[in-house]
Amino acid sequence: MGTTKPTAQGLLRRYVFTTDHKVVGLQYFFLSLAAVLVGTFLSLLMRIHLVWPQAAIPFLGQIKPENYLAYLTIHGTLMVFFVLSTVPQNGFGTYLLPLQLGASEMALPRLSMAGFWITLLSFFVLIAAFFAPGGASLAGWTQYPPLSAVPSAGPGQGTGTDLWLVSIGLFCVASVLSSINFITTTLKMRTRGMTLMRMPLTCWTWFVAAILILLAFSILLAAVIMLLLDRNAGTNFFVPANLLISGHAVDHQGGSPLLWQHLFWFFGHPEVYIAILPGMGVTSHLLSVFSRKPVFGYKAMVGAILAIGFLGFMVWGHHMFVSGMNPYAGFAFSSLTTAIAVPSAIKVFNWLGTLWGGRFRFTTPMLFSIGFVSLFITGGLTGPILAQPALDAYLHDTYFVVAHFHLIMAMAGLFAVFAATYFWFPKMFGRMMNSTLGSAHFWVTFFGAYAIFMPMHLLGIAGHPRRYSELTGVQYVAAMAPLQQFITAAAIITICGQLLFLINFFWSMFKGAAAGANPWECTTLEWTLPSPPPREGFGNQSPLVYQGAYEYSVPGASKDFLMQDSTATPQ
Amino acid sequence: MPPVVEHVELDKKPQKPRLGGGGPGKIPHRWGFGGGDDGDYGHHEDFVSRRDRLRRYRVAMVITIVSVTALFVGVTTVYFLRGTHGPWDPVEKTYLENWQPVILPYRILIINTVVLLLSSITLELGRRGLLKKSEFVSMGIRPPKLQTEFPWIAITALLGFAFLAGQIIVWHSLRAQGLYLASQNPNSFFFYLLTGLHAIHLSGGLLALLISLFGSWLKLRFDSQQIAVDVTGWYWHFMGVLWLYIFVLLRFAM
Ligand code: HEM
Ligand SMILES: [Cu+2]
Repeated sequence: MGTTKPTAQGLLRRYVFTTDHKVVGLQYFFLSLAAVLVGTFLSLLMRIHLVWPQAAIPFLGQIKPENYLAYLTIHGTLMVFFVLSTVPQNGFGTYLLPLQLGASEMALPRLSMAGFWITLLSFFVLIAAFFAPGGASLAGWTQYPPLSAVPSAGPGQGTGTDLWLVSIGLFCVASVLSSINFITTTLKMRTRGMTLMRMPLTCWTWFVAAILILLAFSILLAAVIMLLLDRNAGTNFFVPANLLISGHAVDHQGGSPLLWQHLFWFFGHPEVYIAILPGMGVTSHLLSVFSRKPVFGYKAMVGAILAIGFLGFMVWGHHMFVSGMNPYAGFAFSSLTTAIAVPSAIKVFNWLGTLWGGRFRFTTPMLFSIGFVSLFITGGLTGPILAQPALDAYLHDTYFVVAHFHLIMAMAGLFAVFAATYFWFPKMFGRMMNSTLGSAHFWVTFFGAYAIFMPMHLLGIAGHPRRYSELTGVQYVAAMAPLQQFITAAAIITICGQLLFLINFFWSMFKGAAAGANPWECTTLEWTLPSPPPREGFGNQSPLVYQGAYEYSVPGASKDFLMQDSTATPQ
Repeated sequence: MPPVVEHVELDKKPQKPRLGGGGPGKIPHRWGFGGGDDGDYGHHEDFVSRRDRLRRYRVAMVITIVSVTALFVGVTTVYFLRGTHGPWDPVEKTYLENWQPVILPYRILIINTVVLLLSSITLELGRRGLLKKSEFVSMGIRPPKLQTEFPWIAITALLGFAFLAGQIIVWHSLRAQGLYLASQNPNSFFFYLLTGLHAIHLSGGLLALLISLFGSWLKLRFDSQQIAVDVTGWYWHFMGVLWLYIFVLLRFAM
């Protein structure tokens, strides 16, 4: 403290092996930033390969089919696990949850630290697969057996797949540890006056997402352990009998690959909500702040969050309509899936209700939040189409599905992350991000997202299957080449547009205009602290909470908002 | 426009809630949930902060138990699905029957069960004693003999090791029957999977017991030691229940 020079060990404790939730949150943030850069680079390689299969890439040479599939696997894994399940929940959540609840630490600070370091290890294990003999796994982020269970099935199916499984196993452990921490923090660390129904919706979504993580990732861990045993210990959970690979019989017997699909999607569907729920919370929060209006239907929002979490566990079968499941089961999954559209629609309705008649401030985070709503609606409309088994029989494993989930999960999720970054950057670094660059970034990304993923619907309807590196000699696919070229061009432009964000981010970190404690005039508790908040958070003076989280444009108040710890009672 | 009244009394009747979620008004009393500042910045000997910390860790332990339960539910589901009928053989066009009964070494298994349940009792004795003492300590009364409970913990740890050793004997006797983890018979590898996962989880508890046992060397404070024993106690009982469940499952499903 004070004037004494910090020791090396002190710095290590402060910034590296730290239990400070604010630093851990930023560590997660930068890990995800690294992951998203690698993942985006891989997607660029794939897009280039799709339109110029013969092109030689500098340093990498020509992309062989197995390279393409390896890029596909690692791209999906990085984006789903290390970006969309990491930064909205563990990045922003670890940083903000305690502050928004009026606490100065997570409930179990050492667990935060452990969670981050295990996630980091898991990241390195995943990336190491590229340097393993045979390269990374070819089986996609869903790792269906028998492809993923038999090492002789392809070049990346040896060490590469083992590394994938170990990495995801570690990731499961880290996620479960961190979710235990989130749930405990929400239950036990709220300051006096912070009732559940006064929590910001962000806290609600982190809380419910943590419950989903707890259950879903525990199941995935079980599945990953069994698949690892199948591969390395000679058990027979997932490998069917009499399997021939390149003419050689596999000596496994009698497992069932469908079991893996059930386990995986029992995890996988909640997982997509884990990725999007925090984004929904951020969007609700920001739309309210920048419309200067209370969230429309706070209680309905909480109800919808809970309903989505609950229903999310009962619809996994919609990923398996074409697996030969009993038509009655298909019908049940189809109905339940359609039912999930109801709470989703409630949320959309309430976002529009929040916007209705607002006094808008079109800041960069507001733009990205509106973009989120737009993308969520567009992507959401294709969901109920895919939820019809008869339609899905045709559309399954085509680019239509790719379009659906990229719009609703990847793009909407990323827009929420951008919104949150622009919004909380001043709190985290004490400086504002540039808003001109910010709006430019928004418009490029917004039109880019639509330009890339809307045409994929057409590809899918025309019957273009997903996950193929090349379909040479297939007539109707060759006819789609112009559309593919357009998508690749749009992708290249959009990816270049992200430089606007990176430049803005790092430039503003050092050179941005100084931000006050509460630059956005927001009500929640983190804005009562200086920017950036001191190490000890609220210290010994935990705040007392008297107000709900969204008291904007309160009639009779002297300002147009009431901080949550304000004692004013306007008449 | 009516003026804003600043600094009203805390206990004034709450106003009607507005749209922005739980309205303004007094600070509600809290029962159970939530609570105050986080203990790590307060005075550690402080009564409330210690209680708070204990409750917090207990909640975390309950959640951990939920997560471990989910893991075992996952494995059990596969066990049943795999057991009800064999998988489809596309070449022979029949359902395969590779579910073969296994003769479990009951004697050792029952001894193991008794050992594990006994260890739950010894740990509970230690846990309760420590809990009582830590309440005294936090009230400023230092009992003459602070750590007399630690023999119970040591005994628990020994029983835990005995249980693990017993499981190793069980695995040996299965291997003597020709039943391996690498096997075509689901009964065989599920046995290893379920008991192995249980053993790994139990070892975690054992580690926690050892840490709290040697806590004074690791410079743990007394109340941290007590909390560690307390939540490990909960976990340990859960391990006992889980073991009974696995035993019953293996007994009746095989
Ligand atoms: C309106 C509600 C929704 C419905 C009815 C719905 C329906 C479906 C269906 C039926 C599929 C399977 C298509 C197939 O493989 O043939 C699917 C795939 C997918 N959905 Fe949704 N969905 C909805 C919302 C969401 C949301 C909110 C997300 C994520 C934030 C999401 C992410 C995904 C992903 C990632 C896949 C593809 C997984 C893969 O095969 O790799 N969906 N959706
Ligand atoms: Cu789904």
